[in-house]
Amino acid sequence: MTSPLLSVKNLVVEFHTSEGITRAVNNVSFDIPQGKTIGIVGESGSGKSVTSLAVMGLLQKPAARIPQGEILFNNQDLLKFNDDQLRAVRGNQISMIFQEPMTSLNPVFKVGDQIAESLRIHKKMTSKQAWARAVELMNQVGIPKPAESAHKYPHELSGGQKQRVMIAMAISCDPKLLIADEPTTALDVTIQKQVLDLLFKLQQEYKMSMMFITHDLGVIGDIADDVVVMYRSNVVEKNKAKEVFTTASHPYTKGLLACRPKLGANPRRLLTVSDFMTEEGVEIPIDIAKIQVFDKQEEQDAKKSEILLEVKNLVTQFPIKGGIFGKTVDHFKAVNDVSFTLKKGQTLGLVGESGCGKTTLGRSILRLIEPASGQIIYNGQDITNVRAEELRLLRRKMQIIFQDPYSSLNPRMTVSEILTEPLNIHNVGGSKNERLDMAKALVEKVGLKTQQMNRYPHEFSGGQRQRICIARALMLRPEFVICDESVSALDVSIQAQVLNLLLDLQQEFGLTYIFISHDLSVVNFIADEVGVMYAGKIIEMDKASRIYKNPKEEYTRTLLKAIPKGDAKTELASLV
Amino acid sequence: MKNHSLWRDAFGRLFQDKWAVASFIIVIAYSLVAILSAMGLIAYDWAREVGGSNLPPSAEHYFGTDIFGRDVLSKVIRGTQIAMSVGLATSLIAIPIGVILGAFAGYFGGWVDDLITWLYTTFSSIPNIMLLISITMILGKGLFAVYVALGATSWVNLCRLIRGEVMKHKEREYVQAAGAIGGGHFRKLFKHILPNVTHIIIINTSLQFQIAIKSEVILSYLGLGVQGEPSWGTMIDDAKLELSRGVWWQLAGATLAMFVIVLAFNLLGDALRDSLDPKLKGK
Amino acid sequence: MTKYIIRRLLYMIPVLMGVSLIIFILFNLVAGDPSAVLLGKNATARQMLEMKEQLGLNKSHFAQYVDILKSAFTFDFGRSWATKQQITYMIKQGAYPSLCLTIPAFIISTILSLIIALVVAFYRGKGIDLFIRFVCIAGMSISALAYILGFQYFFAFKLGWFEISGFEYGFPNFVPYVALPGIIWILLSLGPDVRFFRTIILDEVYQDYVRTARAKGLSEMTILLKHVLRNAMIPIITYVVIQIPYLILGALLLESFFGIPGLGGITLNALNSSDFPVIKAMAILSSVIYIIFSLISDILYTVADPRVKLK
Repeated sequence: MTSPLLSVKNLVVEFHTSEGITRAVNNVSFDIPQGKTIGIVGESGSGKSVTSLAVMGLLQKPAARIPQGEILFNNQDLLKFNDDQLRAVRGNQISMIFQEPMTSLNPVFKVGDQIAESLRIHKKMTSKQAWARAVELMNQVGIPKPAESAHKYPHELSGGQKQRVMIAMAISCDPKLLIADEPTTALDVTIQKQVLDLLFKLQQEYKMSMMFITHDLGVIGDIADDVVVMYRSNVVEKNKAKEVFTTASHPYTKGLLACRPKLGANPRRLLTVSDFMTEEGVEIPIDIAKIQVFDKQEEQDAKKSEILLEVKNLVTQFPIKGGIFGKTVDHFKAVNDVSFTLKKGQTLGLVGESGCGKTTLGRSILRLIEPASGQIIYNGQDITNVRAEELRLLRRKMQIIFQDPYSSLNPRMTVSEILTEPLNIHNVGGSKNERLDMAKALVEKVGLKTQQMNRYPHEFSGGQRQRICIARALMLRPEFVICDESVSALDVSIQAQVLNLLLDLQQEFGLTYIFISHDLSVVNFIADEVGVMYAGKIIEMDKASRIYKNPKEEYTRTLLKAIPKGDAKTELASLV
Repeated sequence: MKNHSLWRDAFGRLFQDKWAVASFIIVIAYSLVAILSAMGLIAYDWAREVGGSNLPPSAEHYFGTDIFGRDVLSKVIRGTQIAMSVGLATSLIAIPIGVILGAFAGYFGGWVDDLITWLYTTFSSIPNIMLLISITMILGKGLFAVYVALGATSWVNLCRLIRGEVMKHKEREYVQAAGAIGGGHFRKLFKHILPNVTHIIIINTSLQFQIAIKSEVILSYLGLGVQGEPSWGTMIDDAKLELSRGVWWQLAGATLAMFVIVLAFNLLGDALRDSLDPKLKGK
Repeated sequence: MTKYIIRRLLYMIPVLMGVSLIIFILFNLVAGDPSAVLLGKNATARQMLEMKEQLGLNKSHFAQYVDILKSAFTFDFGRSWATKQQITYMIKQGAYPSLCLTIPAFIISTILSLIIALVVAFYRGKGIDLFIRFVCIAGMSISALAYILGFQYFFAFKLGWFEISGFEYGFPNFVPYVALPGIIWILLSLGPDVRFFRTIILDEVYQDYVRTARAKGLSEMTILLKHVLRNAMIPIITYVVIQIPYLILGALLLESFFGIPGLGGITLNALNSSDFPVIKAMAILSSVIYIIFSLISDILYTVADPRVKLK
């Protein structure tokens, strides 16, 4: 029995700030054996990233302190190393890939130089040797035309390519351990798949150990041997990857597994972590009725509903400026000839990767962005060209919930001010008190407490803020709501709660939704009909279940394949 | 149940900073002195001969007397009144112009932006000191010219800052959300965006105030400022010739008075930036 | 890139027209009839008329405006009222002493500030950082006049280490005359420069790419001097270039105190003798130089930053 490559023992990390001491990592222990991949899973703030930074010796001193624990790498305690010793290990024997490829590369150096730099300092290569090796590495990580690309600056590469450069940099010195901190979270789903495949392939080739940190259990199932689940600074579960998916023991892990919408099943509601355990972490029995599977189609066919929204040949374009005087030389068609109809009480899901035009389409329908041509017919009325005054009245019927719960609430207004503002604008409800009562009623509906209404947005968590946004959108009792990536910024467990809330509200108020997302499984869960967008067009549109079972377009198939399955380790291994 | 607005949080942080509190107290004290002097309650008889010529500082005259036997402390107090009034007047001219032009340029874009950008580029293309000299010389010496000259130069920076900040906020989702619930341009700009850029105005004013005070001193020293009344600048001008005769107190009094208030505004400006602009927190 | 430069060059035209307009409004409209100032109160109507003709004030407003605009290109500003000399000649005479003072002082203060800022950024948050930050603020809060008076009195008058006043042409003859005002210039610039450079450098220190560089195993010194500084240089270069026009403008107060016959001194003399044409000429000249250097600064920015790709 050989000793593990890395062994973290009873690690405690504390942050000392003016507001007091917070324990970010509490008594965490785990091993990473030679050549194996360990997945560390947890939501934001669970302490998983802090653990990885502690291993790298990259915690910001003096705020971060490690009062207790050992980090044994090849049986040597990294915590006892001085700066010089640590630097000799960093980037050489242990290297790291970060979440944000956009900002993690130095913008003013050529990518070739940035890869070569590690080789020069750790392997003592000459500039020429290092450059040649950098080009080789870039070829290995699948960057097209590596010899030319090495001369490019980071901004000239796409997000996926930047992350490949980061990977090339990380493996340049044949490290024994590679730490990947959410390396695919910022990437589009198809790119995510490619990067994961690449990491797995390289790990096998280089016989590295890997510490893979993510919030998404699905991603980890694809590549990890063992899984460590962290919850509120503690390790709550350690197990073989396969066993985590089949026989998870801790209620939190069970909750995490259950709250992710799955493509195959169509539950009425998603289970959330709170269905499995109380706030204090005590396990509670699950209510089986909640996971009752039903066929959405049946329900829909039962209702013979009328058409609420009809979009015909919609085009929205942005000018491309050029020439000496910045004249418009051409137009970029963000939405290019899109048509569809939407019945009352239904949900249309729009999926696609970033830049496909789904957000522009949503905003064009509400005329927050002016479309160039085409028709938007709402409730039989052509609203494509209605004037500002009429449009203002229409806003009562049509609402939008944005993606980022942090920037979509005015930080200088209290919740009650935010919620009563739409009533003030449209002069709904007579007195101030009446308006406040209406707001209170809705605040309870979306699962917040009325006592919190005098607070400001920054005093709430991301999930709570999104609930405020939902309440604001519903204040005017609209018929039609566009949810633009409304759950994308949330942790999976919170995401499930918000999705459930949206479904409940749809039923109660008879809402019609357009649900925009990059996540096919979320759209599949919530939508009756799904449109796949690519380059400004809807390339395929069908009932949700049919799109999943029987995709017609090649692109749709690629999207479907890219969704992490959770237990596909064997399938991937066969590729190598 | 606590509720903390961003303002309360920011000022909470500010008042934990001892330097900021001290600076704030100094600013208040100077303002009080200026107000009392303007009301004629203190230093009203600065022009009276109270003792011999060029007496060094003593218990009777803390800052000594000048060549005509006038109390230097009283002159410093009159100078404080002038300096603070110039700071205030400059802010009163610069803030409305800078904020309104900057907000309109940033919010509406297009030709409005082109026009306003051209305007402040033009103003900033004439080096400040030349514009100050030209305006005060042409309008005739005196306080009014100083107000106009400093007003004309100090709105430019604020305008540029506000324009940039409004442009950033215009794209934020909370402003789009205000549009989605039916809010018009007026509501979006004044109710939503402006409260979120107010910190820029406060920080900028704190720094602009001390620039105005420093400029007034130099303009007065050049003989372009206030006439027939003592200002810190004219006192330093007097001291130029007296220094070689060992008369240092007039220079020391004016310089010290100016140093304390400018230092206070500088420290306050820094503290305001740290506490009101959270993105710079911890730097 | 070329297109951007052309566009930026063309933008100089409206700005120059705007500057001329402001100067026209100030000097030709608001300033009223300067011939009264020139000739005194007892001038006859005939004399006034002749004077007006001579000054070009009998022309239409538009023609007067065009004259100003023209002078921005030809640098022909007419004659001084006080000295009767060609203003262009005066400026040529004054530029040399001004530059002898300002260029060396500017170079030294910029390099010194950058070094101090790097040291301060390296020890950010520690005692030395706090101390230097406070010294900078305190130094900036003392009136420039107090520095000049104090230093001149103490080092030149009392100790006799430097010349009190005057100027000689030719290197190294001018050195003793510009040394003390140069030192004062450096002291006056250190405060704001160090603070600005420090802010710029610290903006970069907290970027993600610095974490990547640490993860590679680079030393803090290498990270600061290579990765951070290369990024910080972009705003620093533009900041430095935009100050160059002020070097040519001369140091108003320093030159007058130390009797250096530079452009700053010329401006002050003109101010004291109400010599409008000279002030007007200096305003036009300094604006033109400022516009040129802000163009250079913008272009350098696009060259220095590979992210800016302007087509």
